[in-house]
Amino acid sequence: MAGIYIFSDRADIAAEIVGFARAAGKEAFVMALGEEAAQALTNAGADKIYAIDGDSELIESYAKDIAEFLIKAGAELFAVGATPRGRDLAARVAGYLDCAMASDVVSVEYHDNQLTCVRMLYGGAVQEKQVLSGLSVVTIPAGKFEPAQGESTIEALKLKADTRVSIVETAPIVKEGVDLSKAEKVVCVGMALDKEEDLQIARDLAAVLGAELGCTRSIAEERHWLPVESYIGISGAVIKPRLYISMGVSGQIQHVYGIRDANLIVAIDINEKAPIFKAADYGIVGDLYEVVPLLTEALKK
Amino acid sequence: MPLVVVCYKWVLDEADIRINADLSIDLSKAKGKISDYDKNAIEAAVQAAAALNGKVAGLTFGTADAKPSLKDALSRGMDEAWYINEPQASQADGAGTARVLAAAIKKMADVSLIICAEGASDTYARQTGPRIGALLDLPVVTSVGKLEISGNTLIATRVLDDCLQKVKVELPAVVAVLPEITSAPIPGLKAVLAAGKKPVTELKAQDLGVDLTPKSRVTEIKGYMMDRKNIIFNEGETAERVNNLVAALRKEGVV
Ligand SMILES: Cc1cc2nc3c(=O)[nH]c(=O)nc-3n(C[C@H](O)[C@H](O)[C@H](O)COP(=O)(O)OP(=O)(O)OC[C@H]3O[C@@H](n4cnc5c(N)ncnc54)[C@H](O)[C@@H]3O)c2cc1C
Repeated sequence: MAGIYIFSDRADIAAEIVGFARAAGKEAFVMALGEEAAQALTNAGADKIYAIDGDSELIESYAKDIAEFLIKAGAELFAVGATPRGRDLAARVAGYLDCAMASDVVSVEYHDNQLTCVRMLYGGAVQEKQVLSGLSVVTIPAGKFEPAQGESTIEALKLKADTRVSIVETAPIVKEGVDLSKAEKVVCVGMALDKEEDLQIARDLAAVLGAELGCTRSIAEERHWLPVESYIGISGAVIKPRLYISMGVSGQIQHVYGIRDANLIVAIDINEKAPIFKAADYGIVGDLYEVVPLLTEALKK
Repeated sequence: MPLVVVCYKWVLDEADIRINADLSIDLSKAKGKISDYDKNAIEAAVQAAAALNGKVAGLTFGTADAKPSLKDALSRGMDEAWYINEPQASQADGAGTARVLAAAIKKMADVSLIICAEGASDTYARQTGPRIGALLDLPVVTSVGKLEISGNTLIATRVLDDCLQKVKVELPAVVAVLPEITSAPIPGLKAVLAAGKKPVTELKAQDLGVDLTPKSRVTEIKGYMMDRKNIIFNEGETAERVNNLVAALRKEGVV
Protein backbone atom coordinates (compact mmCIF):
# COMPACT_ATOMS: atom_id res chain seq x y z
CA MET A 1 0.00 0.00 0.00
CA ALA A 2 1.34 3.47 -0.80
CA GLY A 3 2.06 5.69 2.16
CA ILE A 4 4.84 6.50 4.56
CA TYR A 5 6.78 3.68 6.21
CA ILE A 6 8.32 4.62 9.53
CA PHE A 7 11.01 3.24 11.79
CA SER A 8 12.56 4.57 14.96
CA ASP A 9 14.28 2.79 17.82
CA ARG A 10 12.69 5.52 19.95
CA ALA A 11 8.93 5.18 20.32
CA ASP A 12 8.48 8.93 20.89
CA ILE A 13 10.11 9.79 17.54
CA ALA A 14 8.08 7.10 15.74
CA ALA A 15 4.86 8.69 17.07
CA GLU A 16 6.07 12.12 15.94
CA ILE A 17 6.76 10.84 12.43
CA VAL A 18 3.25 9.33 12.35
CA GLY A 19 2.12 12.86 13.28
CA PHE A 20 3.98 14.18 10.23
CA ALA A 21 2.36 11.58 7.96
CA ARG A 22 -1.09 12.38 9.33
CA ALA A 23 -0.60 16.13 8.86
CA ALA A 24 0.44 15.42 5.26
CA GLY A 25 -2.73 13.35 4.77
CA LYS A 26 -0.77 10.15 4.18
CA GLU A 27 -1.12 6.66 5.48
CA ALA A 28 1.41 5.71 8.15
CA PHE A 29 2.89 2.25 8.67
CA VAL A 30 5.28 1.80 11.55
CA MET A 31 7.93 -0.93 11.63
CA ALA A 32 9.35 -2.25 14.87
CA LEU A 33 11.90 -4.95 15.64
CA GLY A 34 10.14 -7.64 17.63
CA GLU A 35 6.79 -7.99 19.35
CA GLU A 36 7.78 -6.01 22.46
CA ALA A 37 8.91 -2.94 20.52
CA ALA A 38 5.71 -3.19 18.46
CA GLN A 39 3.58 -3.30 21.62
CA ALA A 40 5.16 -0.03 22.79
CA LEU A 41 3.80 1.63 19.64
CA THR A 42 0.18 0.50 19.69
CA ASN A 43 -1.01 3.95 20.71
CA ALA A 44 1.05 5.92 18.20
CA GLY A 45 -1.79 6.39 15.70
CA ALA A 46 -0.38 4.28 12.86
CA ASP A 47 -2.55 2.54 10.28
CA LYS A 48 -0.67 -0.61 11.05
CA ILE A 49 2.38 -1.77 12.96
CA TYR A 50 4.67 -4.34 11.44
CA ALA A 51 6.50 -6.39 14.04
CA ILE A 52 9.65 -7.59 12.30
CA ASP A 53 10.48 -11.18 13.08
CA GLY A 54 13.89 -12.47 12.03
CA ASP A 55 17.30 -13.77 13.01
CA SER A 56 19.07 -10.63 14.20
CA GLU A 57 18.72 -8.24 17.13
CA LEU A 58 20.22 -5.51 14.95
CA ILE A 59 17.60 -3.59 12.99
CA GLU A 60 20.34 -2.38 10.63
CA SER A 61 20.85 -5.97 9.49
CA TYR A 62 17.40 -6.04 7.85
CA ALA A 63 18.19 -3.17 5.45
CA LYS A 64 18.22 -5.27 2.29
CA ASP A 65 14.94 -7.00 3.03
CA ILE A 66 13.31 -3.77 4.20
CA ALA A 67 14.31 -2.17 0.88
CA GLU A 68 12.61 -5.01 -1.01
CA PHE A 69 9.56 -4.84 1.25
CA LEU A 70 9.21 -1.09 0.60
CA ILE A 71 9.25 -1.63 -3.15
CA LYS A 72 6.67 -4.42 -2.96
CA ALA A 73 4.47 -2.34 -0.68
CA GLY A 74 4.63 0.59 -3.10
CA ALA A 75 5.88 2.87 -0.34
CA GLU A 76 6.41 6.53 -1.21
CA LEU A 77 8.73 7.38 1.68
CA PHE A 78 10.80 5.62 4.33
CA ALA A 79 10.98 8.04 7.27
CA VAL A 80 13.36 7.12 10.05
CA GLY A 81 14.15 8.66 13.43
CA ALA A 82 17.58 10.32 13.36
CA THR A 83 19.39 8.25 15.99
CA PRO A 84 22.64 6.32 15.41
CA ARG A 85 20.76 3.08 14.61
CA GLY A 86 18.16 4.92 12.53
CA ARG A 87 20.72 6.81 10.45
CA ASP A 88 22.58 3.59 9.71
CA LEU A 89 19.46 1.65 8.71
CA ALA A 90 18.10 4.55 6.63
CA ALA A 91 21.32 5.06 4.66
CA ARG A 92 21.71 1.34 4.01
CA VAL A 93 18.12 1.08 2.77
CA ALA A 94 18.76 4.14 0.57
CA GLY A 95 21.88 2.37 -0.71
CA TYR A 96 19.99 -0.81 -1.60
CA LEU A 97 17.27 1.27 -3.26
CA ASP A 98 19.90 3.58 -4.80
CA CYS A 99 17.46 6.40 -4.10
CA ALA A 100 17.47 9.97 -2.80
CA MET A 101 17.93 10.56 0.90
CA ALA A 102 17.87 13.66 3.12
CA SER A 103 19.59 13.25 6.48
CA ASP A 104 18.70 14.93 9.76
CA VAL A 105 16.25 17.33 8.20
CA VAL A 106 15.47 20.69 9.78
CA SER A 107 12.05 20.48 8.16
CA VAL A 108 10.20 18.15 5.85
CA GLU A 109 6.87 18.76 4.14
CA TYR A 110 4.85 17.92 1.09
CA HIS A 111 4.56 20.99 -1.06
CA ASP A 112 2.32 20.50 -4.11
CA ASN A 113 2.69 16.80 -3.35
CA GLN A 114 6.47 17.10 -3.72
CA LEU A 115 8.62 16.07 -0.80
CA THR A 116 10.57 19.16 0.23
CA CYS A 117 13.31 19.01 2.87
CA VAL A 118 15.50 21.66 4.45
CA ARG A 119 18.81 20.66 5.93
CA MET A 120 21.94 22.31 7.29
CA LEU A 121 25.31 22.42 5.57
CA TYR A 122 28.71 23.55 6.82
CA GLY A 123 27.91 22.96 10.48
CA GLY A 124 24.84 25.16 10.27
CA ALA A 125 26.22 28.16 8.32
CA VAL A 126 24.13 27.31 5.27
CA GLN A 127 20.59 26.00 4.75
CA GLU A 128 19.73 23.91 1.74
CA LYS A 129 16.27 23.17 0.44
CA GLN A 130 15.86 20.09 -1.73
CA VAL A 131 13.08 18.25 -3.49
CA LEU A 132 13.22 14.47 -3.46
CA SER A 133 11.39 12.48 -6.09
CA GLY A 134 10.41 8.84 -6.28
CA LEU A 135 10.64 6.46 -3.36
CA SER A 136 12.96 8.32 -0.96
CA VAL A 137 14.43 8.12 2.51
CA VAL A 138 14.61 10.82 5.20
CA THR A 139 15.89 10.84 8.77
CA ILE A 140 14.01 13.10 11.16
CA PRO A 141 15.34 14.25 14.56
CA ALA A 142 13.21 14.20 17.72
CA GLY A 143 10.85 17.05 18.45
CA LYS A 144 9.94 18.07 14.89
CA PHE A 145 6.27 17.07 14.97
CA GLU A 146 3.40 16.62 17.39
CA PRO A 147 3.09 12.91 18.16
CA ALA A 148 0.02 11.18 16.77
CA GLN A 149 -2.28 9.09 18.94
CA GLY A 150 -4.76 6.32 18.38
CA GLU A 151 -4.78 2.57 18.55
CA SER A 152 -3.38 0.34 15.88
CA THR A 153 -3.04 -3.35 15.28
CA ILE A 154 0.13 -5.37 14.94
CA GLU A 155 0.97 -7.64 12.04
CA ALA A 156 3.97 -9.95 12.09
CA LEU A 157 6.46 -9.41 9.27
CA LYS A 158 8.99 -12.14 8.57
CA LEU A 159 12.18 -10.64 7.19
CA LYS A 160 15.58 -12.04 6.40
CA ALA A 161 18.51 -10.55 8.26
CA ASP A 162 22.13 -10.24 7.21
CA THR A 163 23.72 -12.10 10.11
CA ARG A 164 27.31 -11.31 9.24
CA VAL A 165 27.45 -8.73 12.06
CA SER A 166 26.61 -10.11 15.50
CA ILE A 167 26.45 -8.62 18.98
CA VAL A 168 29.18 -9.69 21.37
CA GLU A 169 28.07 -7.65 24.35
CA THR A 170 26.02 -4.62 25.30
CA ALA A 171 26.80 -2.19 28.08
CA PRO A 172 23.95 0.20 28.78
CA ILE A 173 24.92 3.86 29.05
CA VAL A 174 23.54 5.13 32.32
CA LYS A 175 22.21 8.60 31.67
CA GLU A 176 23.90 10.66 34.33
CA GLY A 177 23.26 14.05 32.84
CA VAL A 178 20.03 15.92 32.57
CA ASP A 179 17.96 16.61 29.51
CA LEU A 180 19.59 19.88 28.49
CA SER A 181 16.94 20.54 25.86
CA LYS A 182 14.55 21.37 28.68
CA ALA A 183 16.97 23.38 30.87
CA GLU A 184 16.12 26.98 31.77
CA LYS A 185 19.75 27.99 32.21
CA VAL A 186 22.94 26.35 31.00
CA VAL A 187 26.58 26.95 31.90
CA CYS A 188 28.81 25.54 29.15
CA VAL A 189 32.49 24.64 29.47
CA GLY A 190 34.98 24.25 26.64
CA MET A 191 38.47 22.93 26.08
CA ALA A 192 40.04 25.90 27.88
CA LEU A 193 39.74 24.04 31.19
CA ASP A 194 43.16 22.65 32.11
CA LYS A 195 42.05 19.79 34.30
CA GLU A 196 38.94 17.93 35.31
CA GLU A 197 38.93 19.38 38.86
CA ASP A 198 38.50 22.83 37.31
CA LEU A 199 34.95 21.86 36.39
CA GLN A 200 34.22 22.97 39.96
CA ILE A 201 34.54 26.60 38.82
CA ALA A 202 31.69 26.00 36.37
CA ARG A 203 29.68 23.99 38.90
CA ASP A 204 29.91 26.86 41.40
CA LEU A 205 28.59 29.33 38.84
CA ALA A 206 25.84 26.91 37.81
CA ALA A 207 24.84 26.50 41.45
CA VAL A 208 24.26 30.23 42.05
CA LEU A 209 22.36 30.53 38.79
CA GLY A 210 20.35 27.34 39.22
CA ALA A 211 21.77 26.24 35.86
CA GLU A 212 22.64 22.87 34.36
CA LEU A 213 26.16 22.09 33.17
CA GLY A 214 26.84 21.54 29.49
CA CYS A 215 30.01 21.31 27.39
CA THR A 216 31.50 21.16 23.92
CA ARG A 217 31.89 17.88 22.06
CA SER A 218 35.58 17.45 22.84
CA ILE A 219 35.04 17.73 26.60
CA ALA A 220 32.60 14.81 26.46
CA GLU A 221 33.96 12.67 23.64
CA GLU A 222 37.72 13.12 23.94
CA ARG A 223 38.25 13.93 27.60
CA HIS A 224 35.18 12.09 28.93
CA TRP A 225 34.82 14.67 31.73
CA LEU A 226 31.05 14.96 31.28
CA PRO A 227 28.53 12.45 29.93
CA VAL A 228 27.88 12.44 26.19
CA GLU A 229 24.36 13.83 26.58
CA SER A 230 25.93 17.00 28.04
CA TYR A 231 27.50 18.18 24.84
CA ILE A 232 25.77 20.83 22.82
CA GLY A 233 25.78 21.29 19.06
CA ILE A 234 24.85 19.90 15.69
CA SER A 235 25.83 16.37 16.68
CA GLY A 236 24.77 16.75 20.32
CA ALA A 237 22.02 18.50 22.25
CA VAL A 238 20.10 21.37 20.70
CA ILE A 239 18.98 23.65 23.53
CA LYS A 240 16.76 26.67 24.04
CA PRO A 241 17.40 28.01 27.54
CA ARG A 242 16.60 31.53 28.74
CA LEU A 243 20.28 31.94 29.57
CA TYR A 244 23.41 30.27 28.20
CA ILE A 245 26.83 31.22 29.58
CA SER A 246 29.97 29.77 28.02
CA MET A 247 33.48 29.76 29.38
CA GLY A 248 36.46 28.92 27.21
CA VAL A 249 34.32 27.85 24.27
CA SER A 250 35.61 29.13 20.93
CA GLY A 251 32.17 29.05 19.34
CA GLN A 252 32.79 27.01 16.22
CA ILE A 253 29.73 26.86 14.00
CA GLN A 254 28.94 23.24 14.91
CA HIS A 255 28.64 24.13 18.57
CA VAL A 256 26.74 27.39 18.01
CA TYR A 257 24.13 25.49 16.00
CA GLY A 258 22.99 23.96 19.29
CA ILE A 259 22.36 27.32 21.02
CA ARG A 260 20.69 29.30 18.26
CA ASP A 261 17.36 29.31 20.00
CA ALA A 262 18.77 30.41 23.37
CA ASN A 263 17.08 33.56 24.57
CA LEU A 264 20.30 35.16 25.84
CA ILE A 265 23.86 34.08 25.01
CA VAL A 266 26.76 35.16 27.22
CA ALA A 267 30.38 34.29 26.45
CA ILE A 268 33.58 34.42 28.47
CA ASP A 269 36.75 33.84 26.47
CA ILE A 270 40.33 35.04 26.62
CA ASN A 271 40.54 35.62 22.89
CA GLU A 272 38.59 38.67 21.75
CA LYS A 273 38.56 37.25 18.21
CA ALA A 274 36.86 33.99 19.27
CA PRO A 275 33.81 33.41 17.03
CA ILE A 276 31.63 32.90 20.11
CA PHE A 277 31.51 36.69 20.60
CA LYS A 278 29.76 37.10 17.23
CA ALA A 279 27.08 34.72 18.48
CA ALA A 280 26.80 36.39 21.90
CA ASP A 281 24.50 39.01 23.34
CA TYR A 282 26.99 39.81 26.09
CA GLY A 283 30.58 38.83 26.57
CA ILE A 284 33.62 39.32 28.71
CA VAL A 285 37.08 39.09 27.21
CA GLY A 286 39.24 37.60 29.94
CA ASP A 287 40.76 34.59 31.65
CA LEU A 288 37.96 32.36 32.86
CA TYR A 289 39.98 31.37 35.91
CA GLU A 290 39.81 35.00 36.97
CA VAL A 291 36.43 36.05 35.56
CA VAL A 292 34.20 33.17 36.56
CA PRO A 293 34.92 33.11 40.33
CA LEU A 294 34.34 36.90 40.41
CA LEU A 295 31.09 36.46 38.49
CA THR A 296 29.93 33.74 40.87
CA GLU A 297 30.66 35.99 43.86
CA ALA A 298 28.93 39.00 42.29
CA LEU A 299 25.82 36.94 41.58
CA LYS A 300 25.65 35.76 45.18
CA LYS A 301 25.01 39.34 46.29
CA MET B 1 48.31 -8.26 0.86
CA PRO B 2 45.09 -7.03 2.51
CA LEU B 3 44.11 -3.51 1.54
CA VAL B 4 42.40 -1.00 3.83
CA VAL B 5 40.56 1.66 1.85
CA VAL B 6 39.83 4.96 3.56
CA CYS B 7 37.45 7.43 1.92
CA TYR B 8 37.99 11.11 2.47
CA LYS B 9 36.50 14.35 1.17
CA TRP B 10 38.04 17.68 0.29
CA VAL B 11 35.68 20.35 1.63
CA LEU B 12 35.56 24.11 1.99
CA ASP B 13 36.45 25.36 5.45
CA GLU B 14 33.14 26.37 7.04
CA ALA B 15 34.90 29.01 9.13
CA ASP B 16 35.72 30.95 5.93
CA ILE B 17 32.15 31.16 4.62
CA ARG B 18 30.72 34.67 4.59
CA ILE B 19 27.01 35.32 4.70
CA ASN B 20 25.88 38.46 2.85
CA ALA B 21 23.15 40.74 4.17
CA ASP B 22 20.64 39.22 1.72
CA LEU B 23 21.59 35.76 3.11
CA SER B 24 23.34 34.75 -0.09
CA ILE B 25 26.59 32.95 0.59
CA ASP B 26 30.08 34.00 -0.37
CA LEU B 27 32.49 31.11 -0.78
CA SER B 28 35.18 33.15 -2.54
CA LYS B 29 37.39 33.39 0.56
CA ALA B 30 36.90 29.78 1.60
CA LYS B 31 39.97 27.56 1.56
CA GLY B 32 39.84 23.81 1.14
CA LYS B 33 40.73 21.20 3.72
CA ILE B 34 40.43 17.47 4.28
CA SER B 35 37.16 17.14 6.17
CA ASP B 36 38.02 17.26 9.88
CA TYR B 37 36.80 13.81 10.91
CA ASP B 38 38.30 12.18 7.82
CA LYS B 39 41.74 12.87 9.30
CA ASN B 40 40.87 10.69 12.27
CA ALA B 41 39.51 8.05 9.89
CA ILE B 42 42.77 8.07 7.90
CA GLU B 43 44.78 7.47 11.08
CA ALA B 44 42.38 4.69 12.08
CA ALA B 45 42.95 3.09 8.66
CA VAL B 46 46.72 3.28 9.09
CA GLN B 47 46.43 1.54 12.46
CA ALA B 48 44.05 -1.10 11.07
CA ALA B 49 46.41 -1.82 8.18
CA ALA B 50 49.24 -2.35 10.65
CA ALA B 51 47.10 -4.88 12.53
CA LEU B 52 46.28 -6.65 9.25
CA ASN B 53 49.83 -6.49 7.88
CA GLY B 54 48.31 -4.71 4.94
CA LYS B 55 48.41 -1.44 3.08
CA VAL B 56 46.24 1.67 2.99
CA ALA B 57 44.69 3.25 -0.08
CA GLY B 58 43.04 6.65 0.25
CA LEU B 59 40.05 7.27 -1.99
CA THR B 60 38.56 10.64 -2.78
CA PHE B 61 35.88 11.86 -5.18
CA GLY B 62 36.05 15.55 -5.97
CA THR B 63 36.50 18.24 -8.57
CA ALA B 64 39.86 19.48 -9.85
CA ASP B 65 39.98 21.61 -6.67
CA ALA B 66 40.58 18.46 -4.63
CA LYS B 67 44.02 17.90 -6.15
CA PRO B 68 45.91 19.56 -3.25
CA SER B 69 44.29 17.04 -0.90
CA LEU B 70 46.46 14.24 -2.28
CA LYS B 71 49.72 15.40 -0.76
CA ASP B 72 48.11 16.06 2.61
CA ALA B 73 46.32 12.70 2.60
CA LEU B 74 49.38 10.74 1.46
CA SER B 75 51.53 12.35 4.15
CA ARG B 76 49.19 10.86 6.75
CA GLY B 77 50.56 7.37 6.31
CA MET B 78 48.64 5.89 3.41
CA ASP B 79 50.53 3.96 0.73
CA GLU B 80 48.63 5.12 -2.34
CA ALA B 81 45.72 7.31 -3.32
CA TRP B 82 42.84 7.00 -5.77
CA TYR B 83 41.42 10.28 -7.02
CA ILE B 84 38.16 10.36 -8.94
CA ASN B 85 38.56 13.78 -10.51
CA GLU B 86 35.17 14.80 -11.82
CA PRO B 87 33.66 18.24 -12.54
CA GLN B 88 30.21 16.87 -11.68
CA ALA B 89 31.36 16.05 -8.15
CA SER B 90 30.23 19.46 -6.90
CA GLN B 91 26.61 18.59 -7.80
CA ALA B 92 26.67 14.95 -6.78
CA ASP B 93 24.24 13.76 -4.11
CA GLY B 94 24.75 10.99 -1.55
CA ALA B 95 23.59 8.31 -3.99
CA GLY B 96 25.99 9.36 -6.75
CA THR B 97 28.93 9.77 -4.40
CA ALA B 98 28.47 6.29 -2.98
CA ARG B 99 28.11 4.81 -6.48
CA VAL B 100 31.41 6.35 -7.58
CA LEU B 101 33.26 5.27 -4.44
CA ALA B 102 31.86 1.73 -4.60
CA ALA B 103 32.77 1.42 -8.28
CA ALA B 104 36.34 2.56 -7.54
CA ILE B 105 36.65 0.09 -4.66
CA LYS B 106 35.58 -2.70 -7.03
CA LYS B 107 38.65 -1.92 -9.15
CA MET B 108 41.01 -2.46 -6.21
CA ALA B 109 42.46 -5.86 -5.35
CA ASP B 110 42.29 -7.64 -2.01
CA VAL B 111 40.12 -5.08 -0.20
CA SER B 112 39.53 -6.28 3.33
CA LEU B 113 38.31 -3.18 5.12
CA ILE B 114 36.70 0.07 4.02
CA ILE B 115 36.76 2.93 6.51
CA CYS B 116 34.72 6.11 6.34
CA ALA B 117 34.39 8.88 8.90
CA GLU B 118 31.15 9.52 10.74
CA GLY B 119 30.26 12.34 8.37
CA ALA B 120 31.79 15.12 6.28
CA SER B 121 32.06 18.58 7.79
CA ASP B 122 30.15 20.17 4.88
CA THR B 123 27.09 17.95 4.38
CA TYR B 124 27.35 15.89 7.57
CA ALA B 125 24.84 13.50 6.00
CA ARG B 126 26.38 10.36 7.50
CA GLN B 127 25.28 8.26 4.51
CA THR B 128 28.44 7.34 2.65
CA GLY B 129 29.67 4.35 4.69
CA PRO B 130 26.32 2.54 4.88
CA ARG B 131 25.52 3.29 1.24
CA ILE B 132 28.86 1.88 0.05
CA GLY B 133 28.20 -1.20 2.16
CA ALA B 134 24.79 -1.65 0.55
CA LEU B 135 26.10 -1.13 -2.99
CA LEU B 136 28.84 -3.72 -2.45
CA ASP B 137 26.51 -5.85 -0.32
CA LEU B 138 29.11 -5.94 2.46
CA PRO B 139 28.42 -5.92 6.19
CA VAL B 140 28.46 -2.44 7.74
CA VAL B 141 29.28 -1.22 11.24
CA THR B 142 28.68 2.47 12.08
CA SER B 143 29.23 4.80 15.06
CA VAL B 144 32.42 2.98 15.89
CA GLY B 145 34.41 4.35 18.82
CA LYS B 146 36.89 1.50 19.07
CA LEU B 147 38.28 -1.10 16.65
CA GLU B 148 40.14 -4.31 17.41
CA ILE B 149 41.36 -6.69 14.74
CA SER B 150 42.55 -10.20 15.31
CA GLY B 151 43.20 -12.39 12.31
CA ASN B 152 40.32 -11.78 9.96
CA THR B 153 37.87 -10.84 12.70
CA LEU B 154 36.98 -7.29 13.51
CA ILE B 155 35.50 -6.36 16.87
CA ALA B 156 34.01 -2.89 16.97
CA THR B 157 32.53 -0.94 19.85
CA ARG B 158 29.61 1.16 18.67
CA VAL B 159 28.62 4.25 20.62
CA LEU B 160 24.82 4.35 20.49
CA ASP B 161 22.32 6.60 22.31
CA ASP B 162 21.53 4.11 25.00
CA CYS B 163 24.43 1.67 25.05
CA LEU B 164 27.92 0.73 24.05
CA GLN B 165 27.46 -2.19 21.70
CA LYS B 166 30.33 -4.51 20.91
CA VAL B 167 29.87 -6.33 17.61
CA LYS B 168 31.84 -8.87 15.66
CA VAL B 169 32.24 -9.30 11.92
CA GLU B 170 34.48 -11.25 9.56
CA LEU B 171 36.27 -9.10 6.98
CA PRO B 172 35.69 -7.68 4.42
CA ALA B 173 33.43 -5.04 5.92
CA VAL B 174 32.64 -1.33 5.86
CA VAL B 175 33.18 0.63 9.04
CA ALA B 176 32.17 4.24 9.83
CA VAL B 177 34.29 5.57 12.67
CA LEU B 178 33.68 8.39 15.14
CA PRO B 179 36.47 10.98 15.42
CA GLU B 180 37.09 9.85 18.99
CA ILE B 181 38.48 6.57 17.66
CA THR B 182 41.97 8.03 17.49
CA SER B 183 43.63 11.40 17.27
CA ALA B 184 44.91 12.70 13.94
CA PRO B 185 48.58 13.53 14.30
CA ILE B 186 49.99 16.38 12.20
CA PRO B 187 52.35 14.81 9.64
CA GLY B 188 56.06 15.45 10.11
CA LEU B 189 58.31 16.96 7.45
CA LYS B 190 59.68 13.59 6.37
CA ALA B 191 56.18 12.22 5.81
CA VAL B 192 55.26 15.29 3.78
CA LEU B 193 58.32 14.89 1.57
CA ALA B 194 57.69 11.16 1.07
CA ALA B 195 54.06 11.84 0.09
CA GLY B 196 55.08 13.33 -3.24
CA LYS B 197 56.58 9.99 -4.34
CA LYS B 198 53.57 7.80 -3.55
CA PRO B 199 51.42 6.48 -6.41
CA VAL B 200 48.15 8.16 -7.36
CA THR B 201 45.53 6.59 -9.63
CA GLU B 202 43.41 9.27 -11.27
CA LEU B 203 40.09 8.40 -12.91
CA LYS B 204 36.92 10.05 -14.16
CA ALA B 205 33.44 8.95 -13.13
CA GLN B 206 33.00 7.93 -16.77
CA ASP B 207 35.92 5.48 -16.51
CA LEU B 208 33.94 3.78 -13.77
CA GLY B 209 30.75 3.75 -15.81
CA VAL B 210 28.83 5.69 -13.18
CA ASP B 211 25.92 7.98 -13.98
CA LEU B 212 25.94 10.95 -11.62
CA THR B 213 22.50 12.40 -12.27
CA PRO B 214 21.34 13.44 -8.78
CA LYS B 215 18.21 11.85 -7.34
CA SER B 216 17.41 15.02 -5.41
CA ARG B 217 17.12 18.56 -6.69
CA VAL B 218 18.43 21.52 -4.70
CA THR B 219 15.95 24.37 -4.98
CA GLU B 220 17.40 26.94 -2.59
CA ILE B 221 20.61 27.68 -0.72
CA LYS B 222 20.88 30.46 1.81
CA GLY B 223 23.05 31.47 4.71
CA TYR B 224 22.04 31.54 8.32
CA MET B 225 22.58 34.70 10.30
CA MET B 226 22.05 35.24 13.98
CA ASP B 227 20.84 38.54 15.28
CA ARG B 228 22.52 39.13 18.65
CA LYS B 229 23.36 42.20 20.70
CA ASN B 230 27.14 41.65 20.60
CA ILE B 231 27.86 43.80 23.66
CA ILE B 232 31.37 42.74 24.67
CA PHE B 233 33.11 44.05 27.79
CA ASN B 234 36.80 44.11 27.02
CA GLU B 235 38.14 47.14 28.81
CA GLY B 236 38.92 48.07 32.41
CA GLU B 237 39.66 45.90 35.42
CA THR B 238 38.27 42.38 35.43
CA ALA B 239 36.05 43.20 38.41
CA GLU B 240 34.56 46.12 36.49
CA ARG B 241 33.83 43.92 33.45
CA VAL B 242 32.15 41.41 35.69
CA ASN B 243 30.04 44.11 37.35
CA ASN B 244 29.00 45.46 33.95
CA LEU B 245 27.91 41.99 32.90
CA VAL B 246 25.99 41.35 36.11
CA ALA B 247 24.19 44.69 35.71
CA ALA B 248 23.24 43.77 32.13
CA LEU B 249 21.99 40.32 33.14
CA ARG B 250 19.87 41.82 35.92
CA LYS B 251 18.39 44.29 33.46
CA GLU B 252 17.58 41.42 31.10
CA GLY B 253 15.83 39.72 34.00
CA VAL B 254 17.70 36.43 33.66
CA VAL B 255 19.44 36.49 37.06
C1 LIG C 1 31.02 17.41 11.59
C2 LIG C 1 31.35 18.07 12.90
C3 LIG C 1 30.41 18.08 13.91
C4 LIG C 1 30.70 18.70 15.13
N1 LIG C 1 29.74 18.74 16.09
C5 LIG C 1 29.98 19.41 17.24
C6 LIG C 1 28.97 19.54 18.26
O1 LIG C 1 27.85 19.05 18.11
N2 LIG C 1 29.28 20.23 19.39
C7 LIG C 1 30.51 20.80 19.60
O2 LIG C 1 30.72 21.43 20.66
N3 LIG C 1 31.48 20.70 18.67
C8 LIG C 1 31.25 20.02 17.51
N4 LIG C 1 32.25 19.91 16.58
C9 LIG C 1 33.60 20.41 16.93
C10 LIG C 1 33.73 21.91 16.77
O3 LIG C 1 34.08 22.20 15.42
C11 LIG C 1 34.84 22.48 17.67
O4 LIG C 1 36.03 21.77 17.42
C12 LIG C 1 34.53 22.39 19.14
O5 LIG C 1 33.24 22.87 19.43
C13 LIG C 1 35.53 23.23 19.89
O6 LIG C 1 35.39 23.03 21.28
P1 LIG C 1 35.88 24.12 22.31
O7 LIG C 1 35.26 25.42 22.02
O8 LIG C 1 35.66 23.52 23.66
O9 LIG C 1 37.46 24.15 22.11
P2 LIG C 1 38.40 25.18 21.36
O10 LIG C 1 37.94 25.46 19.99
O11 LIG C 1 39.77 24.68 21.57
O12 LIG C 1 38.20 26.55 22.15
C14 LIG C 1 38.74 26.82 23.39
C15 LIG C 1 38.51 28.30 23.69
O13 LIG C 1 38.97 28.60 24.99
C16 LIG C 1 39.60 29.86 24.99
N5 LIG C 1 40.49 29.89 26.15
C17 LIG C 1 41.66 29.24 26.35
N6 LIG C 1 42.15 29.49 27.59
C18 LIG C 1 41.25 30.31 28.20
C19 LIG C 1 41.16 30.90 29.50
N7 LIG C 1 42.10 30.69 30.42
N8 LIG C 1 40.09 31.66 29.78
C20 LIG C 1 39.12 31.87 28.85
N9 LIG C 1 39.14 31.34 27.62
C21 LIG C 1 40.19 30.57 27.29
C22 LIG C 1 40.28 29.95 23.65
O14 LIG C 1 40.48 31.31 23.31
C23 LIG C 1 39.24 29.26 22.74
O15 LIG C 1 38.32 30.20 22.22
C24 LIG C 1 31.97 19.31 15.34
C25 LIG C 1 32.92 19.29 14.32
C26 LIG C 1 32.63 18.69 13.10
C27 LIG C 1 33.67 18.71 12.02
